[in-house]
Amino acid sequence: MWRIWLLFDPRRVLVALSIFLFVLALLIHFILLSTDRFNWLEGPHHGATAAQMAPLPSSAK
Amino acid sequence: MAVPPGGPTITGLTEAEAKEFHGIFVTSFIVFVVVAIIAHFLAWQWRPWLPGPGGYATSWLNDAGGLISHTISQLV
Repeated sequence: MWRIWLLFDPRRVLVALSIFLFVLALLIHFILLSTDRFNWLEGPHHGATAAQMAPLPSSAK
Repeated sequence: MAVPPGGPTITGLTEAEAKEFHGIFVTSFIVFVVVAIIAHFLAWQWRPWLPGPGGYATSWLNDAGGLISHTISQLV
């Protein structure tokens, strides 16, 4: 397995991995902040989840 | 510049250097995974992210008493 470093430059791998993991973490944190249940700053808004889960009002008469 | 025993490599690392870097990389990776597992364990304790068939149990969020009893039940 160590032979991978004979193929791929360790410096580039470290830079690419760092950027990838950082962007992924940032993405996941923002996704969680955008939800109601997992927003750790605003907390859950009462009734918001129920409103999200409720079916859309029917436009067909 | 010394030519490695196996001949020149693409990255220019010798086998010894590659093995040394590999050891550091694997150790760092294991530490990263352990920290991530701890974080996920704590996050699951805070709010599980897979709802049951009846949806998330959120009744404990409705009032302070429910929150307190829920917290105690999580801790015990």
